[in-house]
Amino acid sequence: MAKMKKKGTTGAAKNYITRTRAVKRLQISLPDFRRLCIFKGIYPREPRNKKKVSKGSTAATTFYYTKDIQYLLHEPLLNKFREHKAVAKKIGRALGRGEVGDAARLEKTHMPKIKLDHIIKERYPTFIDALRDLDDALSMLFLFASLPSTEHVPSKTIALCQRLCLEFEHYVIASHSLRRSFLSIKGIYYQATIQGQDILWLVPYRFVQRTGGDIDFRIMGTFVEFYTTLVGFVNFRLYTSIGLVYPPKFNAKSDELGGELDAFQLEGRGVGSDDGQATNGDTAKAVISAEAQAEVDKVAALAEPERQEEVSTALTRTEEDENTDAIDTFEPTAKDADVLPQPQASSAEMASLFAPFTFYLSRETPRAPLEFILKAFGCKRVGWDSTLGDGAFTSDESDPTITHQIIDRPALPSTSQPDPAESSEPYATTNGDGTALKAQWPRSTMPGRTYVQPQWVWDCINQAKLLRPDLYAPGAELPPHLSPWVKPKKGEYDPNVPLEQQEIEGEAEAFEEEEGVDDDEEEAEVEDASDTEMIESNGTNGVAAIEDRDNPVEAGEGMDVAGSASESESESEDEEAGVGGDDWEGFESDAESDVSEGEAARRQHQRELEAEATGKALEPTIKTTRDRNAEVRKKAEKKRKQEEEERERQKMMLSRRKRKLLKRIEYGEDKRDKEAENLRKKRRRIEKAKTAANAT
Amino acid sequence: MAPNPRKRKVVTRESPVDRVAEDEEELADGLLEGILSHSEDESEDSQAEDGDSESIEGLSDEEDLEDSEAEVDEELQSDEIPSDGEEDIRQQMRNLKTTDDPLRRKTAKLSHEQDFEADGELESRPEEENLRRNYTVTTDANGNPRYIYKEIEPVYDSDESDAPEATNTIGNIPLSYYEAYPHIGYDINGKKIMRPAKGEALDALLDSIDIPKGWTGLTDPATGKPLELTEEELDVLKKVTRNEIPEEGYDPYPEMVHYFSGKLEIMPLSAAPEPKRRFVPSKHEAKRVMKIVKAIREGRIQPYKAPAEEEEDEEEERQVYDIWADEVPRPEHNMHIAAPKLPPPGYDQSYHPPPEYLPDKDEKAAWEEADEEDREREYLPRDHEALRKVPGYERFVKEKFERCLDLYLAPRVRRNKLNIDPESLLPKLPDPDELKPFPTTCAAIFRGQEGRVRSVSIDPRGIFVASGGDDGYVRIWEILTGRQVWNVKVSDDDNVDTVRWRPGKDSAILAAAAGENIYLIVPFAILSPDVEQASRDLLDAGWGYAASKPSTTANGAAPKEPAARWSRPEKRLEDKGVLVQTTVRSTVKVINWHRKGEYFATVSPRGQSSAVAIHTLSKHLTQLPFRRLRGLAQSAQFHPSKAIFFVATRNSIRSYDLAKQELVKILQPGAKWISSFDVHPGGDNLIVGTYDKRLLWHDLDLSTTPYKTLRYHQEAIRAVAFHHGGLPLFADASDDGSLQIFHGKVVGDLMENATIVPLKVLRGHQVRSRLGVMDVDWHPREPWCVSAGADGTCRLWN
Repeated sequence: MAKMKKKGTTGAAKNYITRTRAVKRLQISLPDFRRLCIFKGIYPREPRNKKKVSKGSTAATTFYYTKDIQYLLHEPLLNKFREHKAVAKKIGRALGRGEVGDAARLEKTHMPKIKLDHIIKERYPTFIDALRDLDDALSMLFLFASLPSTEHVPSKTIALCQRLCLEFEHYVIASHSLRRSFLSIKGIYYQATIQGQDILWLVPYRFVQRTGGDIDFRIMGTFVEFYTTLVGFVNFRLYTSIGLVYPPKFNAKSDELGGELDAFQLEGRGVGSDDGQATNGDTAKAVISAEAQAEVDKVAALAEPERQEEVSTALTRTEEDENTDAIDTFEPTAKDADVLPQPQASSAEMASLFAPFTFYLSRETPRAPLEFILKAFGCKRVGWDSTLGDGAFTSDESDPTITHQIIDRPALPSTSQPDPAESSEPYATTNGDGTALKAQWPRSTMPGRTYVQPQWVWDCINQAKLLRPDLYAPGAELPPHLSPWVKPKKGEYDPNVPLEQQEIEGEAEAFEEEEGVDDDEEEAEVEDASDTEMIESNGTNGVAAIEDRDNPVEAGEGMDVAGSASESESESEDEEAGVGGDDWEGFESDAESDVSEGEAARRQHQRELEAEATGKALEPTIKTTRDRNAEVRKKAEKKRKQEEEERERQKMMLSRRKRKLLKRIEYGEDKRDKEAENLRKKRRRIEKAKTAANAT
Repeated sequence: MAPNPRKRKVVTRESPVDRVAEDEEELADGLLEGILSHSEDESEDSQAEDGDSESIEGLSDEEDLEDSEAEVDEELQSDEIPSDGEEDIRQQMRNLKTTDDPLRRKTAKLSHEQDFEADGELESRPEEENLRRNYTVTTDANGNPRYIYKEIEPVYDSDESDAPEATNTIGNIPLSYYEAYPHIGYDINGKKIMRPAKGEALDALLDSIDIPKGWTGLTDPATGKPLELTEEELDVLKKVTRNEIPEEGYDPYPEMVHYFSGKLEIMPLSAAPEPKRRFVPSKHEAKRVMKIVKAIREGRIQPYKAPAEEEEDEEEERQVYDIWADEVPRPEHNMHIAAPKLPPPGYDQSYHPPPEYLPDKDEKAAWEEADEEDREREYLPRDHEALRKVPGYERFVKEKFERCLDLYLAPRVRRNKLNIDPESLLPKLPDPDELKPFPTTCAAIFRGQEGRVRSVSIDPRGIFVASGGDDGYVRIWEILTGRQVWNVKVSDDDNVDTVRWRPGKDSAILAAAAGENIYLIVPFAILSPDVEQASRDLLDAGWGYAASKPSTTANGAAPKEPAARWSRPEKRLEDKGVLVQTTVRSTVKVINWHRKGEYFATVSPRGQSSAVAIHTLSKHLTQLPFRRLRGLAQSAQFHPSKAIFFVATRNSIRSYDLAKQELVKILQPGAKWISSFDVHPGGDNLIVGTYDKRLLWHDLDLSTTPYKTLRYHQEAIRAVAFHHGGLPLFADASDDGSLQIFHGKVVGDLMENATIVPLKVLRGHQVRSRLGVMDVDWHPREPWCVSAGADGTCRLWN
């Protein structure tokens, strides 16, 4: 007989280890273990069979994969932690003795410095892996870049986060890899595609963040420590991949003045193909402001010698690039051939979406996101009010080169709008003597300039084309801002598609009927009530829903219909009573409904006979819309019922396991359907209210 | 010293002086041998007197001090003058003295008489009587009185030096006991040994005297005398202070004595040759040296560590390089689960969403009311008409923090997403139209019975329906019209529990059971003559056997009660067509015919050993196949094609091979109480109805447990029946007043299981006292069935 195997020596019992045991095995404290886990990216597991792992107990425990922990045993950081602990002890002792100088010296010279390079390499063996995990890192850094410095969050960390974020943004601008952006209530989402990886990050709006409550900044700090290292390496790689020097030159003075993106100066490596410099050179002629001119000159001077040196090689290289880079479009020669899908080469177009324009940001607009987006989509000349910080292309609002002005102010009443003559006048003066201009919105508008709200920029980039600016004019009611990431799925509600195309059969009619009944009741009740009450009772918001209460005929019809509806209801109730309580419904119901249809026909015939006998002309039964609605609805309902029956019948034959599976699937689907239906209903109500408002 | 505190205080104040004086005394003692000792005693006395006098005078401390000083002065002065003591005193003095120094004798001489004179005349003492005035008082240059003492005559002739030293006899008690007294003990003669004199009087003297050798300034506590060190002792002390070894003649570094090697042995201790390593340089050491040399060359060991640089710049601290310069993709590990990305925002997160995404009042209230953890989403969609009106998001930091927690605290599990089309799960069922025909509606109702209709049967030609009920009548109806065509009352007090037509189209024989009697009926009134004749012939064929039978039994020694008695019924019944009456031992509940019509089986559940009986029609013979039956028999059936007989007991069904007389199979439907069962015309499948609301389908080839268990009834199932005319249908009748029709297709292929499809629920029977439909039977050809209800009607469904 084979040797008896002892329980708990192999398999799951060995594969998993509780946290307490892990900490004991590593011989470190729990906070250190936590840090180590964060750095190394080790996370708890959920064993498939908990009882086997925890020797029969089912208490809630955290399990780690044993091999992970074993792996941690050889981590160099572990030693660093121990050293750190030793030094901390010494410092504590020194402080206890009141030897502050000693403590400071110990801290400065003996505190081990933790380096995470090897962990980065270990966790992300390839650059693509690192890019894949960049979402959280960027979101975190952008958040920390906007936090105030506290005792938990030293200002050094914040400054580092800010730098890394801006450097990354610079890369995105230079490589035109920003794809989409979205203004949400949480913040601004951006999505960039770098080397085929979609990176989505969220930047909070610039407000003071609420940090109260049970937020442990030590944990977040540990994450930030790791992320800063990661993003540093990623930035280096990204910069070098497009031939830029990393780190870019940082202008502390400009940063102090609120230069943000402008505080960095990108330098090309070898080829002077730096986008920023080239553009500045282009625009130099148009620049009027002395400061900007000087700056541009300076930059141009810097760039010039390099460019001359390398100009020939650059030319050849670009030509080669043109030859090799782009994907050739394959046209099928014969008609019967299959067509293979090819990626669209629209990124170049996208990259120059805003290229021909000069933007000016009013002081109430958020400068940082707008600047970033505009520049990422090819706009070279973005100016803004000087209160928004340093680094603007122009801070002069009346600059004639400005083509678009982004404004986020309510429109003034029309009386205060200046007449065109007035507005043209200052423009004339501009050309005349070049003195400071007073062409300031909303007092006056510059001719030939487009005024838009910020949402225009976002909607343009999400739809990859320039939209009609008049929809986004200052003070106009904006079209809804939609998330670019939602893909229309079958059965889900899509706000872009008209209602008729997505509702299921008979739904609209049912709604109308229901609403109609409601309306009637309401009308009876709220005949003299004020409009506001009506709105409330309808549950719509915004536009006043004014019902056709001045139309008595319709109301009368409504009453009729209500009666018929109740009849049909009672009928259906009968049906239900006949069939109700079944596990499966037979075919009785449709037979009976056939009967009822037959009955209707018979009644009709009877009426005709009576009419004939009395000699009266038969009044044609007026099929009102509501009748028709009811008919359609009933038909749809019947059909649905039949389908349902059929389904139930099928379900009965399933095995229990499959039935459960099906139930789960259907639960999700039902939820989705219900949600979609709810949204459709709301939309229908809103649309109805809108049409009613338009009619009056 | 004195009980009076004030006095003590005074004394303490004086004590330094005293001590000094004492010291001097001692010193003097040391020097002046025995002569001075006497005077010391005196001074001691005088001191005590001082204390006394002060207490009387009540002078202030200052005055005391002055006084004492004055006294000392006087004493000193008096010291100059040698006084001639009395004999005894002198003796005493001599006793006390340990050493004698004649040189100094003259300089310090005191006599206690003098002391007393000097102190003043106020006090009288016991010693005073012994003393004489040995001085004269004159006035000195300052006008102070001056005492001039007589010359003391030293007595040298005494031989006291030989005498043993005067020793204190107090024994081994601390000297401190005598602190309060002027004496320190008693000598051998019982005389007081006075405390050696002390005081300032000796100060001056001290100055003039060289400190003798061996003087320590300490008092020997044993003797109370000053402690003197001898020459040797001093020598030792000196050596100790010089860190030398005190012992004389001790050599700390003696010559080494070679105990082992000092003596040259002739033979060596070990014969081993001298090892080579004694002569070659150590390799190990060389290795270690080389290691260090190498480390130094490589810079791992720096002979001198440069001090850490003062302020490292932020930039230098953050060193970045191309960490992915030589990237090698890692193979995907099964246990590694990457952190899931956060989902991108949807429409409802927009700052300006389409209006339908905004929550209405109820949703908003529900969201606000819900606990934070129960909320489906952590935000409420809001609408802002312009970007400038968008506020900061309150939970931003919290959400990011929670994300952090999720990243390192949440267990990650790989879940397979259910990406199955639900339609694919559903089995492909035949279309309801393909399943047709099956009964759907009630086509005829057979009314006219009283009480429950217990049983119903359709004749093999499909024309008549026979029914039997609680009223004791057996009735025959025309199936299409529902008209009653024939009836007979077979019993007055028993119910007709079951009626069954004999299979076979050429005859029309109805078997009915009421109580213990089984009637075989030929309703000739409604039959054509040839059928009637054929039927009569069949029944009459057995009479011969019946006649012979009683005779054989009569011959037997023990006339055993026969299993059944076959007889002709009474005339009234015979006229109506009831031709044979068979009486068994207990009430018959079930009759089932063999397919050929030759045999029929009856079951009387209470019959115990005679519960199941098989009757042979042609011989009018009844056999009891089971001597003892396990369980309560419920029903019995013949196999449609083989010689197999099924018997259902309360919770199992057994099949017996009639030819071999053995048990073939036991089916375990898992039911609590089987009500009825039916065998599929193919013979391999069985349906079982139970009182516990279940309908079970058994595939005999598959297993002894049910292939399908159907539970679609709310109440007990009373009867089940297959369609025996070639249609794949079966029906069950239940106490909930409904019949259910199923499609049950059995294919010849063994690999394929039977398809069972529920088709129809037929309702119409009323439920009376919790009984609904009692029996169901199928038409032999058409998809029609007839049911018997507890409401006194039968219904035809088509």
